Amino acid sequence: MMTLVKKTLLRLGLVTTLVAGLILGDGLRGDASVACAQEVHVSGPLAGAPAVKKLRLWREMRLHAEPFFAFTIGDEYARSLIVGGELRFHFLDWLGIGGWGGYTVGKLDTNLTDEVQSNGVVRPGGANRLDLPTREDFPEQVGRLNWWSGVELHFVPFRGKLAMFQKVFFDADLDFFVGAAFVGVEERTSAVGLGADGLPSGGGSVADCLIEGSSQIDDGCRGSQLARSKRTAIAPSFGVAFSAFFREFLGISLKWRGIPFKYNTAGTDNNKDGQIDSNDRIRQFNNMFTVGIIFVLPPKIKTTD
Amino acid sequence: MEFSLDEVEEDKPKKAKEPETRGDLIEELASDEGTAEGPIEPAPQREEIAEEIYAVQQIYALRLNRVELAPSAAFTLNDPYLKHYGLGFAANYWFTNVLAVGVNFIWYDWGANPFESYTGIVPRIQDQFTLGVPINEWQFGLWANFTYVPFYGKFKVGKKKIFQWDSYLVGGVGLMRTKPIPVYGLTTTVTRSFDWQTNVAFNVGIGLRIFLTRYLTFFTEFRAYMWPDQYENDDVEDRNNPDPSTWLQSGSTFVANTSIQVGLTFFFPKREYRLPK
Repeated sequence: MMTLVKKTLLRLGLVTTLVAGLILGDGLRGDASVACAQEVHVSGPLAGAPAVKKLRLWREMRLHAEPFFAFTIGDEYARSLIVGGELRFHFLDWLGIGGWGGYTVGKLDTNLTDEVQSNGVVRPGGANRLDLPTREDFPEQVGRLNWWSGVELHFVPFRGKLAMFQKVFFDADLDFFVGAAFVGVEERTSAVGLGADGLPSGGGSVADCLIEGSSQIDDGCRGSQLARSKRTAIAPSFGVAFSAFFREFLGISLKWRGIPFKYNTAGTDNNKDGQIDSNDRIRQFNNMFTVGIIFVLPPKIKTTD
Repeated sequence: MEFSLDEVEEDKPKKAKEPETRGDLIEELASDEGTAEGPIEPAPQREEIAEEIYAVQQIYALRLNRVELAPSAAFTLNDPYLKHYGLGFAANYWFTNVLAVGVNFIWYDWGANPFESYTGIVPRIQDQFTLGVPINEWQFGLWANFTYVPFYGKFKVGKKKIFQWDSYLVGGVGLMRTKPIPVYGLTTTVTRSFDWQTNVAFNVGIGLRIFLTRYLTFFTEFRAYMWPDQYENDDVEDRNNPDPSTWLQSGSTFVANTSIQVGLTFFFPKREYRLPK
């Protein structure tokens, strides 16, 4: 019985999201003598044989070049459409290192941005003037993510084959990766809100702004709304990819990647201190979905015994 | 030995093995076969046999004529304003090995103050942009579905382990119960309250099922639930109108809620398979 529990715990570890309480399910109640999963009790010439013979080594000592298209999901104010590429080299079939980069070729404002632009209210007296100088120009105020890059370590613990419609068969694997990402962030430039007396408002009503690096008063904060600054954000990145190979040198990859970091998504005074600055950055779980074509070099594949 | 043609051609007919002495000298002397050559073995076939033997694995878990029961947890992905958490239950009957018909049910109404379900963005946009957001809360959804399994695969882990998985498409029609959370009505002289509305709803999705045993699987689904919903009327001119018929928007808004569901499935009847020994 202990052997059965160990085997089942291993399977649960593979799916990683199951909690230990689920193990008490009906699935564990069985005769220990009955073979479970794929541990076929074989005697004779196949006894002790590996799970797979003549395994095609899609990754070992091969270079993967992958042009991709990606789009971000879950954004508050603007989504990014990204075109880029990725290079990976695998020392082993289950371990490799790679780098990727992409450029945001388009943006899609969310419905919320459209709503603010159409129905946002600039309150009389300047109570929210720093947050929304004009509603018409609000889309120009929100933060943008202009370019992306990163280096990642790749683990491929699961690999196998897939039948589609019971007619088409191809090899597939799951690639887990973790690393660091570098993202080009474009945000609203730092500015100090000034009260009607020309002094910093300190969180009160704002009449005008003083843009960082400028000595001129910005009337009604309209210039501040359009002023932009750029920086590079460094953040952890991680994700999982499903790769399927159709030829010895060709495959397709579907990938999800998460890159959490802080930035000022709306270009607003989020901490209500009367100024736009780095303290207004909010942690965002930036994540994207990627579709790529994998080209493998050298094109000839090796197999195990 | 490689059983190749070259190897066969190099072989010549061999003499049969000399019979072993049995220890009886008189019998050996009396025998006429003492010096004669033994019988000759037939020459091996001089044609290469090019056939290979494949061991084809049976489908690990059959679904045909089985009932699938699937408790699950659900959470939404794309609603920036409100967090929706649900507990679901699905039952499917597999009338072929790849096609099933069934129902699924998700309960979302946990009785908490709906404002506590707000994401952080709601108070921000109310304060920063003076923008009210019409939001509906959900009670439950109930759908009848078809499921089709076009993908079936297996992955190896390490050198000894293999697990089976499949991927399926699911879709169906049903109903979704929702009601607006009063947002504009809270700031007027008339306090609005709403009843649950029943909306016709559709859903499509794709799922991944990993077989832990032949009757227990872990699954995760990406589902898009869609329905035409009615939100609170945000028209300023109607803010103080006591007539409840003016509290809802005149038209419907198409809602597409994408969600992730994770859970277990239990297949009945349980079947024990006899595997090769």
